[in-house]
Amino acid sequence: MRRIFSQARKDLTQLVRDRLALALALLLPLILLFLLSTAISLTVHNLPLVIQDLDDSSASRRFADVFRSSISFHVVSWPPDRKPEDALTANRARGVVIVPKNFGHDLARGANVQVQLLVDATDSNTARIVQGYVNQITRAFNQNSGAMADATLVGAQVRLWYNPGRDSPKFYSPGIFVMGISMFPALLAALAMAKEGEQKTILQVYVSSISAHEYLLGKILAYMVVAACEWVLGMTTLLTVFGLHIAGDPTPFIVGSVLYAFCVVSFGTFVGAGIPNQAAAIQAVALGGFLLVFLLSGLIFPVENIPAGLRWVSNIVWGRYYIEIVRDALLQGGGWPAMWFPVLMIAVLGALFYTLAWRVMRRMQVKA
Amino acid sequence: MSRLRALMRKEFNQIRRDKRMAMSLIIPPTLQLLLFGFALDSTVSHLRLGVIDWSQTPESREMVSTLTESKSFQLGGDYTSVRDLEAAISRGKLDAGIVVPYEFARDLRRGTPLDVQILLNAANANTATIAQGYAEGVILSYNQTLAGEGIRPRVRSVSGASGAPPGHRGVVGTMTAFLYNPGLVNAWFIVTGTFGVLLILNGSLLAATAMVKERERGTVEQLLMTPASTTDIVIAKIAPLFVLLMVMATLAIGVMRLFFAVPVRGSLVLLALSAGLCILSGIGIGTVVATFTKSAQQAMMTAFFINPPLSVLSGSLTPVEAMPSWLQPITWLNPIRHFGIIARATLMKGSGIEVLWPNFLALVGFTVVLVSLSIWRFRKQLG
Repeated sequence: MRRIFSQARKDLTQLVRDRLALALALLLPLILLFLLSTAISLTVHNLPLVIQDLDDSSASRRFADVFRSSISFHVVSWPPDRKPEDALTANRARGVVIVPKNFGHDLARGANVQVQLLVDATDSNTARIVQGYVNQITRAFNQNSGAMADATLVGAQVRLWYNPGRDSPKFYSPGIFVMGISMFPALLAALAMAKEGEQKTILQVYVSSISAHEYLLGKILAYMVVAACEWVLGMTTLLTVFGLHIAGDPTPFIVGSVLYAFCVVSFGTFVGAGIPNQAAAIQAVALGGFLLVFLLSGLIFPVENIPAGLRWVSNIVWGRYYIEIVRDALLQGGGWPAMWFPVLMIAVLGALFYTLAWRVMRRMQVKA
Repeated sequence: MSRLRALMRKEFNQIRRDKRMAMSLIIPPTLQLLLFGFALDSTVSHLRLGVIDWSQTPESREMVSTLTESKSFQLGGDYTSVRDLEAAISRGKLDAGIVVPYEFARDLRRGTPLDVQILLNAANANTATIAQGYAEGVILSYNQTLAGEGIRPRVRSVSGASGAPPGHRGVVGTMTAFLYNPGLVNAWFIVTGTFGVLLILNGSLLAATAMVKERERGTVEQLLMTPASTTDIVIAKIAPLFVLLMVMATLAIGVMRLFFAVPVRGSLVLLALSAGLCILSGIGIGTVVATFTKSAQQAMMTAFFINPPLSVLSGSLTPVEAMPSWLQPITWLNPIRHFGIIARATLMKGSGIEVLWPNFLALVGFTVVLVSLSIWRFRKQLG
């Protein structure tokens, strides 16, 4: 036990002396949390829209005004003699609404009118949202003009749960928080481990009386402390800046966090032991910590949309389970009944990485 | 001129012997394009819908099935109480729920307007926005089907009766045409965006390691003792990297065409020129970073501080319009943003230089500034 603690103290001392590494450990996760959480979002608003009014009647102007007053769009002017598609190719607008001739006339007669909507679909997600917004606004126009009373019998009352303001940072910031925790403690652990291999100081460890388990646990403990500092800083930001709060029973979250810190640091130690070259170790951890967690964990894009051939990989991506736990703790509050499985999986993956790291250590020791 | 040529030959020879570098320019970019293109898909489909049907009539079942028959929703189970449904949504077993009231069929026959309640898990704002649009659209078309069968509301709501005359007014509908990407393939957006990120990030990483290497080994002094000027040295260093990265860019376009069937509707020359400028800016960034760091490891760590903001604030993976409005102008300072616009416009929209000239000019500007900055930093460091 004493040896484990002194090993941990030695690693922490080394870390504190390296300014760049310390900044990487504590500052960068916070910067990323701020930046990415505010910047990453798919829910577009205030999109440029062109309305081409071929009718120019009071009804068509009223129709255009409904779009002008919405927060989803801002109407940009476009000369009526130019082709409306040009507004899209010139990147001036995301959509064009074309109001046909006789719009007002037909409406007054009681005939139904079709309005043409052209959408720039280069970004398919935004295109879908544009279509949804335009339909909603058109429906509002119909309701105001009293036409809908004829047509709607069944209304839809949509209730949005857990995040009624549809505030994107509330969804993404827990994910970014997880990405930071997945990457930087692991990176530093891998660097420290690879450094010992590169500078051959590992040989001194072999000849000392410390056992492989004690050595590994000491290293892991040191970087778990780093992860804990990051965790506290990150959680403070989430709770204060992004207005999240703990929902429901926090015990699965706490247990999951401790296990997750162990899991990521063990992963880093394993990589560092396996690749005794600092530059290569950085790349390996960046691939595991960043790319896998960013892509395959449902951070921005839902896991269900990943093609089946690739989706199974996400089952062993540790970050995926922790994202579920953090989102549950901060948004949904499902507690143990919902979260026992992710917590268990993190424990299993952590144990796996630890065993792998230990085996690599032993093999190296035999070779040395 | 002969000095420059000799220096370039030296650089090319060095690169030729470095197999790992050549591999790192082929495998990771291809993999990234494929992974990003296939895995990053924001399409909302097959949301699990829990149903509480208190009406239990053929009419209510028909209404629910119009929802579950669409690709957007699938039946996630029947529930008898709101509490069970709530618990299922909070446990993540369901994404959405619908509550059909007891009087559903009766009101329908009488023509009394009524509401069904739809619950959506809005934790993911994007899914909720799109799902809401879907659900409202489905209910709207259900109403139209009812109207087609002659089932219309008989009791006029107060607000409707006040303004309009008792006859009926026409209803405005929309017909949507999705241009440039009628199949709404999300991968087209992702891979064209990733393309620019790859050019800048690989350019900067490659340049940084190449510049640092000379210093780590202490061979910079030898180079300085040759009669070549510093500008010669920098150009000789940049040129081979540029050629290599252009090969990578061609490869990336090939991958986009081959695996994702991204169309090429505009001028490839314009795209290649912009890619070249983008690569040069990337090399410039890498060189500047290299002059501030002492080892390859430090250069890589510094890259962690530069790369995420560059790639996130570029609109390449998520739309810029979704960023807060104070952040949006900053993205114009990012070469990846301009390149992304050019790449998408030339490939998918077929736009030419007549509309893309501001972005192209911006790229030229970034390249000039970054390359001269890197030459200045390099010279200062050697001096």
